[in-house]
Amino acid sequence: MAEPAMLPRIAGQADAATSSAPTSGIAPRGAIRLEGISRVFGGGVVAVDRIDLDIQAGEFFTLLGPSGCGKTTLLRMIAGFETPDAGRILISGREMQSVPPHKRPVNTVFQSYALFPHLSVAENIGFGLRMRGVARPERLARTEQIMALLQIDAFARRNPAQLSGGQRQRVALARALVNEPEVVLLDEPLSALDAKLRAELQVELMRMQKRLGMTFIFVTHDQHEALVMSDRIAVMEQGRMLQVGPVLDVYEQPRSVFVAEFLGLSNIWKFTPRPGNMAETAIGALSIATPITTQRTAMIRPEKIWLYPEADAPRDRPNMFAGVVREAIYMGASTQYNVALAGGAIVLALDTNNQAAERSWGPGERVVLELKPANIMLIDG
Amino acid sequence: MSQNLAPPIRRALLLTSLPVYGLLYAPLALIAVFSFAPAPGSTTAGLHWYNDLLHAPDVLAALRRSLTLALGSSILGTALGTLMGFGLSRFRSRARSGFAAALPSLIIYTPIIMPSLVFGISELIFFNLMHKATGLFAAGLLTMGIAHVTFQAPYVALVVFARMAGLDPNLFEASHDLYANGRQSFLYLTVPVIRPAIIGGFLLAFTLSIDDFTISYFTAGPGSTTLPIYIYSAVARKGISPDINALATLMIATVIGIGLLQYGFTRQKDRQTVPRTGD
Amino acid sequence: MSAITGGASIQGSAERAERLARAWRLWMTAGPGLFWIVVFLLLPSLILLGIGFFSIGNYGNPHLPLSLEPMREVAGYSILGWSPDNLATILRSLLQAISAAGLTILLAYPVVFFIITRPPALRPLLLLFVILPSWTNQVVRTYAWMELLGPGSTLSHLAQGAGLIPPHLGLMPGILAMQIGLTYNYLPYMVVPLYAAAEKLDWSLVEAGRDLYASGRRLFWSAVFPQTIPGLLSGIILVAIPAFGDYVVPTLLGGGKSMMIGSLIASQFLDTPNWPYGAALTIFMLIFTCAGLIVFRVMSKRLGSSEGSMI
Repeated sequence: MAEPAMLPRIAGQADAATSSAPTSGIAPRGAIRLEGISRVFGGGVVAVDRIDLDIQAGEFFTLLGPSGCGKTTLLRMIAGFETPDAGRILISGREMQSVPPHKRPVNTVFQSYALFPHLSVAENIGFGLRMRGVARPERLARTEQIMALLQIDAFARRNPAQLSGGQRQRVALARALVNEPEVVLLDEPLSALDAKLRAELQVELMRMQKRLGMTFIFVTHDQHEALVMSDRIAVMEQGRMLQVGPVLDVYEQPRSVFVAEFLGLSNIWKFTPRPGNMAETAIGALSIATPITTQRTAMIRPEKIWLYPEADAPRDRPNMFAGVVREAIYMGASTQYNVALAGGAIVLALDTNNQAAERSWGPGERVVLELKPANIMLIDG
Repeated sequence: MSQNLAPPIRRALLLTSLPVYGLLYAPLALIAVFSFAPAPGSTTAGLHWYNDLLHAPDVLAALRRSLTLALGSSILGTALGTLMGFGLSRFRSRARSGFAAALPSLIIYTPIIMPSLVFGISELIFFNLMHKATGLFAAGLLTMGIAHVTFQAPYVALVVFARMAGLDPNLFEASHDLYANGRQSFLYLTVPVIRPAIIGGFLLAFTLSIDDFTISYFTAGPGSTTLPIYIYSAVARKGISPDINALATLMIATVIGIGLLQYGFTRQKDRQTVPRTGD
Repeated sequence: MSAITGGASIQGSAERAERLARAWRLWMTAGPGLFWIVVFLLLPSLILLGIGFFSIGNYGNPHLPLSLEPMREVAGYSILGWSPDNLATILRSLLQAISAAGLTILLAYPVVFFIITRPPALRPLLLLFVILPSWTNQVVRTYAWMELLGPGSTLSHLAQGAGLIPPHLGLMPGILAMQIGLTYNYLPYMVVPLYAAAEKLDWSLVEAGRDLYASGRRLFWSAVFPQTIPGLLSGIILVAIPAFGDYVVPTLLGGGKSMMIGSLIASQFLDTPNWPYGAALTIFMLIFTCAGLIVFRVMSKRLGSSEGSMI
């Protein structure tokens, strides 16, 4: 399992966050551009609301959001199963709105896998090649190659009903990858699997994507999965894209309360600015490193809070708060402390357990928290 | 749970059910027994009456007509019914309600719930009027076939619809995603996947056609006596007779045979779709 | 989800286009079959109903002007004055249909509970053996009972010996034979829906009831029977409606004396034609049928039974 704050994998995009793709039409194979995409369902429900997005060729891009945020609808519009009401979809520079799904250079891995029950594993994988009229010898060769790559060649003759969940997932992936599409769309493909298998397949998906160099668009509501796997993520809510950027940026510098809360744990306070770049919050005055302009919300991640035993706490630093541990939630690699401050406010702090023997606290014990000014992020609104 | 009823209750259920099973098969068995009755002037039981059937041109002609009618109407009825079951399952939007959305269901259920006498008489009058007006639709195998298709197609549609309802709707999207156009998707995904339902529907349509008397009787013409009509008029004319026993026995055996075959098909389908877990 | 703020005119156009495409595909697939049924059944049955409001011509053919004469005839009025025969026939058919439903219920319950107390793998087969006879031709099935109940049969001899019927007569033709024929023919139509309901039986309620009720009989009526009512209602519909309008059984087993509505209607189109009168009788029959359907449908809706994967 990867650590929560892991290394970002930025695949050579210079200014991905600002997303300015070439408009000349000579877009690289596998690049996707959405311009003003909207989709309204019956009864005036806006599923996708004027979305602009550029996805680089070869990128592992994740659409993250709660259920009903429009991420699946957006994916289905790229696949061609839904038509946008307005806007343009370009794949590798070609306009796609009027292209039916079977003529798009994309393949989908469905949440339910959607393996054809009447075909064997090998026939399932070869289906796309067969429909495109690829000659049998080449079809078999490519099918075998991808089965070997995904280590499912042992089940080639089996019926999908005879496979376990993880095996079905691999077959669904192979069935998409064997066609060497420009873009692979994955609609919560791991959500039906148990945690351990899921972690394994996350790594495998990433490895496969890097190896084949295809663009992957991954839809999930699981923020941990998004953090682990993606180059860039887009956080969606109510049909809108709240923030797009490299994983590290979105996690470390959320631009809205929703993003901060949806992605990982956070402590968030409204504040009133005070002279000396101070912020008056519910837990007291905080010294902030970033110049305060119009922002009125402060946020700090629990793992960015330092804990000290009451006796050893440094005296001469800003933003030191004494409190009592309410709950200590042991999570293996780390422990989450819910600390009640003097005023009654609860602050979440996360401590890695690399020195648990010397440093750990139980409920009722007194601790001192340090919220380093540089670690406090400011959010608009 | 259902199996741990008290033994006396289980025994009572067995003892009351066996006579009912007996009641269901006794009349049919009796016909079969009587069909082996000895020929007139003889005392040895045997296949005399079956032999008679083989040399009765009326019976053979009626059999031929029955088979032609059943086969022809089943093929058309299965085609129309399959398309209906498939189309209604795939393309009717589930979100909408009201009369327009319910109309196809109402139409499909009409032939099933309409009493067969009313069905038959409606057809009789309709074909009669049409014949007077256009000269077409003279009562005969054609009009019988049209009527049979009308009640076969809804049953086939129900069977196919039930199979479709058990499928993951993503399957069809997956086929399009994998470069199949509408025709390819239907031929390489839909048809193979619902094949057990199509075959089952065809066998059902066939038995329905062979089994039907009332509707056939009202749509038949002078030269289109099928087996059930032949038996009916023979029975109405001369009551019970050993040659009818033999003919009835053959029909019973055929239908029970097809029934068991159809059961086999649906069972096989069940086995295929039972998911198994573990590596 | 957020409301639309701009570009409202183009919003929703994709939905409309998709709906149109779906409707087009629906009509391309389901259209031919639906069209077939409309042309060859709905239209003819409407014509039949319409004929019930025409005058009766010299040869029993429908004639203009429109009239209620056929309806009066159904009610029993003719040139000879009023006679109760028609109403008696309708009433008799109704009673026969209801008692056929009652008899099938009595026979079906033990069978259904016998089947569901067997191992699951065996149940479909046991059910199949109840259904199989109904797949044979109705004429053949009815014919079989002629053999069993005819004047020379063992059963008739027994009945003669017991003094139930006069010597030299059989149990057939007659009302009893007709009742047996209807019950036999429609028994599977009661077993199947009842089985469907009984298979879903919540046995935990029965277990709970075991502690509350001393006798098995009270346990059955309070914990088991209520759960089978939806199946029972469908069964009654499936048995009573076709039994009410049956043509084969009354003709072959009933004999001339016990005319039923089915044979009465048929004779208006076959023997001595009187189409408007026959059509009027049909309207009456359909009114009874529909009324029965609606009553039972409302009842089963009240009981919250669901239709599952029905079209």
